[in-house]
Amino acid sequence: MATQDRSSYAEGFGQVSRTVGTVFRYLLLASTLFGIAVLAILLVYVANDAVQPLTADPGWHLTFFLTLVLPTLATAGYLAATNLEALKFGSMTIGLIVVSLLFSGGVAIIFIEVLAPLVWFAYVLAFAVPTVLMIALQRRSRQLSFLTRFVVVALAFYTSLFGLPGVVPSVAALVQSAPFVPLDWVLLTLTLGLFASAPTASYAAGIRDRRTGLGVGVLALAAVAASPFIGPPVFGIGTVPSVILASVTVVPTVAFVGGTAVTREHARIGILVPLLIVGGALAGEVLVDTLGYAGPQSWVDWQFLTSDHSGTAEDAGLYPAIAGSILLMVTVAALSFPVGVGAALYLEEYAPDNRITRFIDVNISNLAGVPSVVYGLLGLGLFVTQLGRPSGTIFVGGATLALLILPIVIISSREAIRSVPDEMRQASYGMGATKWQTVKNVILPRAFPGILTGTILALGRAIGETAPLIMIGAPNVLFSFPSELSSKVSAMPLQVYSWASYFATDAFYEKAVPAGVVILVTVLLAMNSIAIVLRNRYEQET
Amino acid sequence: MSQENMSNDNVESATEDPTDDDMILETDVAAGLEEGSETVRTARERSIVEANGINVWYNDEQALQDITMSVPENQVTAMIGPSGCGKSTFLRCINRMNDMIDAARVEGELYLGEKNVYDPDVDPVALRRRVGMVFQKPNPFPKSIYDNVAYGLKIQDIGGNHDEIVEESLKRAALWDEVKDQLDESGLDLSGGQQQRLCIARAIAPDPEVILMDEPASALDPVATSKIEDLIDELAEDYTVIIVTHNMQQAARISDKTAVFLTGGELVEFDDTKTIFENPEHERVEDYITGKFG
Ligand SMILES: Nc1ncnc2c1ncn2[C@@H]1O[C@H](COP(=O)(O)OP(=O)(O)O)[C@@H](O)[C@H]1O
Ligand SMILES: [Mg+2]
Repeated sequence: MATQDRSSYAEGFGQVSRTVGTVFRYLLLASTLFGIAVLAILLVYVANDAVQPLTADPGWHLTFFLTLVLPTLATAGYLAATNLEALKFGSMTIGLIVVSLLFSGGVAIIFIEVLAPLVWFAYVLAFAVPTVLMIALQRRSRQLSFLTRFVVVALAFYTSLFGLPGVVPSVAALVQSAPFVPLDWVLLTLTLGLFASAPTASYAAGIRDRRTGLGVGVLALAAVAASPFIGPPVFGIGTVPSVILASVTVVPTVAFVGGTAVTREHARIGILVPLLIVGGALAGEVLVDTLGYAGPQSWVDWQFLTSDHSGTAEDAGLYPAIAGSILLMVTVAALSFPVGVGAALYLEEYAPDNRITRFIDVNISNLAGVPSVVYGLLGLGLFVTQLGRPSGTIFVGGATLALLILPIVIISSREAIRSVPDEMRQASYGMGATKWQTVKNVILPRAFPGILTGTILALGRAIGETAPLIMIGAPNVLFSFPSELSSKVSAMPLQVYSWASYFATDAFYEKAVPAGVVILVTVLLAMNSIAIVLRNRYEQET
Repeated sequence: MSQENMSNDNVESATEDPTDDDMILETDVAAGLEEGSETVRTARERSIVEANGINVWYNDEQALQDITMSVPENQVTAMIGPSGCGKSTFLRCINRMNDMIDAARVEGELYLGEKNVYDPDVDPVALRRRVGMVFQKPNPFPKSIYDNVAYGLKIQDIGGNHDEIVEESLKRAALWDEVKDQLDESGLDLSGGQQQRLCIARAIAPDPEVILMDEPASALDPVATSKIEDLIDELAEDYTVIIVTHNMQQAARISDKTAVFLTGGELVEFDDTKTIFENPEHERVEDYITGKFG
């Protein structure tokens, strides 16, 4: 035996079979690709129906290929090989432009259809006045007891928002009854413009110094204020959309590009990517126009986005459904975020480790798996039957969807809170911090990006839900726009569903449905990409 | 500023000759007797932390057995011993960080100054504001350097000029020259040794009476370690420092007093560092120090 062993050493080490392992590996690869491939084929198919690229002139394709696709691909390929950081910067910029444009659209819909700028301005002011008071009082925390400060601030908020009947009118009412009413765009500049330029200023101050920050802030505000004079004559859009576009898209994008260009010289060149895309698209458009090439007869067009539902597929649009989805999202976020984060904080930081806590633990996980139809039933029973709210409204729909995603928000927020290292807590308690101070100063700031990521992904789930909305009696089609919390609401998936069922003609199947799906998926992908970018940033920092 | 006054006092007493010193200590003891407030302390120096029969259990495992010792003021007291012998546990008894551990149960008395910190009327949060703590792994907050140092001032609602206190604390932690131009940058961008000095600055900013350090240099390279050791030496002029270390050379270099804990959570010997290392009373201690076990 021993001699045999020795002789096999002399000949080499022999071979170990890896056949099974190799087969296993390719099986895994196949199962990975299967899901992705099926989804990709479906999306391509739907997109083809919706955009109908083959209906365009070959010249149209050629023009855009030469002006847009080729230069962009060439530059991106070059950057990928030589300067990955620059490519990342370029694609981030493009992403930011796309996402912020979607966002601008949503905000514009809200201000044009639902929320009068004057009302918005009144409430912003009504919040700002007591907030300033609160900060001023915080400074004097040593002279005044907590209870005094709390009472004063609570009273100030209440008076400012609702007024004391017969004694003092609320700030909100005062502003709305002012004899002289400024133009809408002035009100929006004062609110949205400030909201956009203040963070920009602090970002710039962080890079350079205070004076630069102040200068940049003033510049940003000036740009927003100038937009209503540039928007209408140059781009043919109204003054209100101009201000919104300037504060939601232009200022943040320019700030991001400028900030990155200053701090990361190496990545600067990446700006070529967005420039080539925007420039190429414009050049292509001009060329196609002058040469007379017809574009594709796409179903996803401005008309589709801005029209109401109609009995004929050609005239049908998604506008009320888009707006309904946006309003639902705002309601869902407002309801589920505070409750979910609150519950997560309690369970992670405060709850004693006993049987009740573990029982709640297990059941939250179970609730996350309950089918959405059941939540619809719950919403119907709770809000419509028990509380007697009218069925199918924004409030009932939003509350039902909020219940649906609440377990997911709680679970992901808990994960984020748990990922705050215990050393941070130790450090804080060791300094003599109370639990509340530790939560406020250390845990929440640190966990916030993670909480936000989880909430956005959960909202993405809510935006695609159909069943709960059907259960609570949301109308399948809506011809007019929902304008308050108690008006009936439809949503994008519901609209697509009704086109595919009640209006199931060939025309709807082939045109309206794919177009609706493309919009829905675009919005979902945009939301998910925000969440992913946030998560990546967060992971880099830690 | 109170820190200033304190340091002056200490510099004076440090330069006084031993006979004078003894006299002062005697009168201290006498004063304590006259007031009739506490039992007479056996230590020659004025003690600030005094443990009296401290027992600690984690669930049913006893981690510390009947620890009685008194830690002198404005000196460096080192605690050495093999790992798992309860050094960290004892440290956490002093600022009641053991309260955070559900499994832990503490019995006995521990005086900080004149007050038993395990009296029912003691608020552990208020206690921790008078005791600074530095941990094994540097743990600055993901905030700016300035905000890290000012954290205690903020949460303890300490008035005064925060800019000045932050600068003073960073200077005492021997970090000011390295970071004075980047106070707004994140504390996490510093090197490990700098982070630990930042944590020391954070701990001393609210001017605590005692600073506890749990193996503060064990995660650092030798150069950073020697910087921390120099720093501890300087801190001892103004503060009482209690430091856990598993490194005997370190204890010998920086401490005035050394406590030797051995397996089972026993305090075997507590004496002047010189005595412990040159002429220990117990054979077990000698074996441990000469490396025969542990
Ligand atoms: N949080 C805890 N829960 C349970 N047992 C613990 C805990 N912390 C420490 N112990 C136990 O107490 C003993 C002493 O631990 P520790 O004080 O950390 O020792 P040292 O710091 O000297 O290495 C060890 O046996 C350890 O297992
Ligand atoms: Mg330890």
